[in-house]
Amino acid sequence: MLLMVNDVDVAYGRAQVLHQISIAVDEGERVFMVGRNGAGKTTLLKTIAGFLAPSHGSIVFAGRPIAGLPAEEVARGGIRYVFQDKRVFTKLTVRENIEIAAHAAKIRLAEAIERVVEIYPKMTRFLDSPAGGLSGGQRQLLLLGRALLGQPRLLLIDEPTEGLSAGAIDEVFDVLEKSKGTVAMVIVEQNLSVVRQLADRVYAVKEGRVCSEYRDMAAIADPSVLEGVL
Amino acid sequence: MISVVAYGLTVGAILYIISIGLSLTFGTMRIVNFAHALIYTMGAYVLFTMLRVTGGNFVLAAIVGVAAAVPLAWAIERFVIRRLYGQSIDYAIIGTYAVLLIGVDATKWIWGATPLPLSDPIGKYVNVLGVDLPVYRLVVIALAVLIFAGLELFFRRTVVGKIVVAGLEDKDAVRSLGIRVDSYFSLVFILGSCLAALGGILYAPITTIHPYMGTHVLLLSFAVVLVGGLGSMRGTLVASFALGMVMAVTGRVWGPAAEAMVFAVMAVVLVLKPIEV
Ligand SMILES: Nc1ncnc2c1ncn2[C@@H]1O[C@H](COP(=O)(O)OP(=O)(O)O)[C@@H](O)[C@H]1O
Ligand SMILES: [Mg+2]
Repeated sequence: MLLMVNDVDVAYGRAQVLHQISIAVDEGERVFMVGRNGAGKTTLLKTIAGFLAPSHGSIVFAGRPIAGLPAEEVARGGIRYVFQDKRVFTKLTVRENIEIAAHAAKIRLAEAIERVVEIYPKMTRFLDSPAGGLSGGQRQLLLLGRALLGQPRLLLIDEPTEGLSAGAIDEVFDVLEKSKGTVAMVIVEQNLSVVRQLADRVYAVKEGRVCSEYRDMAAIADPSVLEGVL
Repeated sequence: MISVVAYGLTVGAILYIISIGLSLTFGTMRIVNFAHALIYTMGAYVLFTMLRVTGGNFVLAAIVGVAAAVPLAWAIERFVIRRLYGQSIDYAIIGTYAVLLIGVDATKWIWGATPLPLSDPIGKYVNVLGVDLPVYRLVVIALAVLIFAGLELFFRRTVVGKIVVAGLEDKDAVRSLGIRVDSYFSLVFILGSCLAALGGILYAPITTIHPYMGTHVLLLSFAVVLVGGLGSMRGTLVASFALGMVMAVTGRVWGPAAEAMVFAVMAVVLVLKPIEV
């Protein structure tokens, strides 16, 4: 297993939000987390990414315990976290957004731009525009491109298609689809059609606990199956 | 009139040089740093001592004064501020204020409490539209403009500068790329502190050196930072020169009101444009 989250509790101050969560992700596997707003999906990703420390339990990535490590060290170990709400550096241009990720990944800017453009060819048009002016879909593609530059072994993505138009959802979908097998992913997603088409495995989260796990996508094709958690 | 403008620009220049570090420290670390005033004062005192040691070489003494800020700022950042990261902002205020008080007393112990006068290091005048202006003040104004240009270049053209700009907007997103952003912020802290020392050094020949000089100027500097916008580099420049002019013009009409007017302007700006933190 590439990632093992074992029996993890997480609290904000005194309010415990995650209860005995355990999940596992294999090398190259694409795992989705579904659940209602407030269920604790973002909290779980932030905990894996090192932005929150669990009060109990362990997180092991590539054989190394990472619970409680600062986020930048977790990232350096090979994990990239793409935040919810499409947080690009709005005051910098698209090129500069890529430049910072390239610097972090220790690759040349020209090569980095080439790789982002390969993922999303239309990005060439916006290279010198402020990233703050991009549409939601373009921002998400920039974030995915930026994250992939670091050649992570695990990518954590929080609600990549939230608030996007149908066309933008397709573009994001294509990028996630194409990177199959090269990088493991844990994706929080509310759009069940995206989940059904891309997931290798699905965890349903309810009130801070993993309530079920689905390996068979045919099983969740029936809309009534996930109704109780969504 | 010309001399009022020149005075306003000089005060504005000094305010800019001091305030930019304060503003950046707040923008990056979310810390209100009272110890900034101590670095400003120390710069002036080290200048004073080095002028004696070097037999009056102002440039060399100033360089040593600025360099002396590096270890001091490093120690304050490492041993006080870093321990207050993520805590309530009140702790940072109390912690750095304590450093300031200790520093002021240490200054009195080393150099005494009596104000120390310094003479104008250039001592020449230039005639502008019929008014004799000290060349030194024009040099101070030019330095402030150069520093602004240098910082703009640094933050817009270098990757390190861009990382800091990105970190000002979204620190966690920078961290999620595997960048140890706190060490870049420490660098900015030390840079800002060096500028505070430079501010003290440049202002010393215009007034006198005394243990409370930093404490005094810090309040004006807070006004600049609040008016200019926390963490805004251009806003700080504009606010510095605007408030410098306010001081000069008010001082011309009624001396004692000069500083009060700065805070009046600050209050008006805050009412019109409340701070979003
Ligand atoms: N910073 C925070 N401080 C306190 N409570 C929080 C914080 N962030 C989230 N929560 C609470 O934790 C719970 C889980 O939130 P979150 O992980 O964001 O859920 P999801 O991503 O599944 O919508 C919610 O009840 C939310 O109100
Ligand atoms: Mg969420």
